[in-house]
Amino acid sequence: MTISHFAQDAAQIALEKFNRGEIDRRSFLFALGGLGLAAAFKPGVAQADASEIVVCNWGGAAADAFAKAYGDPFTKKSGMKVVIDGAGPAVGTIRAMVESGKVIWDATDGGMIDSLTLGKGNLVEPIDYTIVDKSQVPENFAGEFGVSNYVYSNVLAYDAEATKGTAPTGWADFFDTAKFPGKRTMCKWIQGQLEFVLMADGVAPADLYPLDVDRAFKKLKPMLADIIFWEGGAQTQQLFREGEVVMGNIWHTRANLLNKETPDKFKWIWEQNILSASAWSVPKGNPAGKKVFDFINSTLDPAGQLVLLQIMGNGPSNPKTLALMTPADAAVNPTTKENAASQIMLNPAYYAEHETELQNKYLDFISS
Amino acid sequence: MRNFKTTALLLTVPASLVAIGLYAAPILQVLALSLTEPKFGLANYQSLFANAAVGRVVMTTLKVSLMTTVLTVLASYVVAFAIIHMSAGWRRISLFLVLVPFWISVLVRAFSWITILRRRGVLNSALMEMGVISSPLDLVYNLFGVTIGMVHYMMPFAILLLYANLSDIDRRIMQAARSLGARPATIFWRVWLPLSLPGIALATLFVFVFSLGFLVTPALLGAGKTLMIAEYISVQISSTSRWDLATSLSTMLLLVVGIIVFAAMRSPALRAAFVARPQQ
Repeated sequence: MTISHFAQDAAQIALEKFNRGEIDRRSFLFALGGLGLAAAFKPGVAQADASEIVVCNWGGAAADAFAKAYGDPFTKKSGMKVVIDGAGPAVGTIRAMVESGKVIWDATDGGMIDSLTLGKGNLVEPIDYTIVDKSQVPENFAGEFGVSNYVYSNVLAYDAEATKGTAPTGWADFFDTAKFPGKRTMCKWIQGQLEFVLMADGVAPADLYPLDVDRAFKKLKPMLADIIFWEGGAQTQQLFREGEVVMGNIWHTRANLLNKETPDKFKWIWEQNILSASAWSVPKGNPAGKKVFDFINSTLDPAGQLVLLQIMGNGPSNPKTLALMTPADAAVNPTTKENAASQIMLNPAYYAEHETELQNKYLDFISS
Repeated sequence: MRNFKTTALLLTVPASLVAIGLYAAPILQVLALSLTEPKFGLANYQSLFANAAVGRVVMTTLKVSLMTTVLTVLASYVVAFAIIHMSAGWRRISLFLVLVPFWISVLVRAFSWITILRRRGVLNSALMEMGVISSPLDLVYNLFGVTIGMVHYMMPFAILLLYANLSDIDRRIMQAARSLGARPATIFWRVWLPLSLPGIALATLFVFVFSLGFLVTPALLGAGKTLMIAEYISVQISSTSRWDLATSLSTMLLLVVGIIVFAAMRSPALRAAFVARPQQ
């Protein structure tokens, strides 16, 4: 699922920056905290214990030293330890856990779509909005079974040297090989892929859902030979750096990193960017019970979300964060007003219903 | 002697128990899931055969595995044949070089191949500089790249299997053939090759069965366009939650591999590969 891949990727970005000395330890820990990645990292399977919060996420890159630095303040505030399990909260894993009655996670870092899928399967608790402050996030980010703590976008990134300075103006240019010769890249995970193909084919943003799969495939078919499909964020940077592709649908966080590396060469446009929201979910029968919602509520704090943006580029789910941003922060943030002008929002309800079928159709299509 | 055999058999019990607990039991669980997810019956297997997408994944897997097997065994035979004709010193060096890739992770090897094969990679740059080609060739992110990566992964295994077989062949037979007037080519086709059939059969079986389950190499070098069974199963388990599809496909793969191995073991060539080596 795109969301899990994205969260994993965000942690990787922070770790790389930390390793290069671009960010200090404090900021790193703070950023991981925002992602729910901090506190004590416990390798292997976490143990269920009512006196701690066990958070499951996708990036097990944290180590004990910095874990303590974030864990202690949180423990001071709430009296509870936070333990991170980097095993990856795949829907299938959560299902196995809940059905066998051996739930060890309190909060899982999935996506809005996952939260709906899990809710439909009766595998997660409804978010307790008497504890979690709903007013911190826009209405559509506070779902019954998941509340968002960050957002990210699929954008059109391009190699300005290869296009000789000409900037693409929208997804239609992805398909214009006469004007922009060269290979393209897009993701092999379905979320945010057919949307851009359909917009390139002239479908109005308001008419995207339900997705016209046949129309999208028809538009994509002649391009297949020129497309390299990526499965992780680091790979997208690699493809651009090596000159393998001139244009691609990639995450804004990676487009930003490419641009920081070589500002004149790698650029991206915000036109028609496709926004996705992450979400915390609480597996049914979680060991810490209601206390997990205090933790979730703390991740909606604007200060933490700003640091998350500065370190990893993840956009805030709390609009109050916008007021804290410098112009440089705002420029790379997908929820900034100018950047969101022609933005479309991925429809979680549609994906919760159709993603399985769509993903398999898509894999079959691109591999045949 | 009888006593020794009993003791020896008893000594294998702990290892067998571990294997059953950690290997057989989970496989049975997968089998059980394939029959009960979402309800009891063979419906999952029926839909497996009716699923055109699964059919295409299976065909891709067979195509890639067969190509890999043929190329690997051919190339490995040449290498193994050369090694057994070397002096002891060169043989040691050559075997060491064969073993080096063994110690390098499959991920690192896949990325190395990308570096070599990509459009601005080592190979394309060299060819363009020499003027052999005018625009870069598509050597990776397609079936071609996947096959190269897989052949490279499988070659050390095949070379070692063939080397063991070839070095067991009694050289006096070749001397006898030569003394009867056979030319080198005749000796190869009529003596070396028939005698090395058990080794070839074993290497072919091994490489083919191993190739069917490749995950990392096709995923990285194929860039989404070469979808093989293992990757398909992994997507169905972790991304799409289609456990019915994943477990029934896994079970079918296991079953087919079992049948292939069983059938192959009945062939005279493979049985010969497992009989006690003749002492020289």
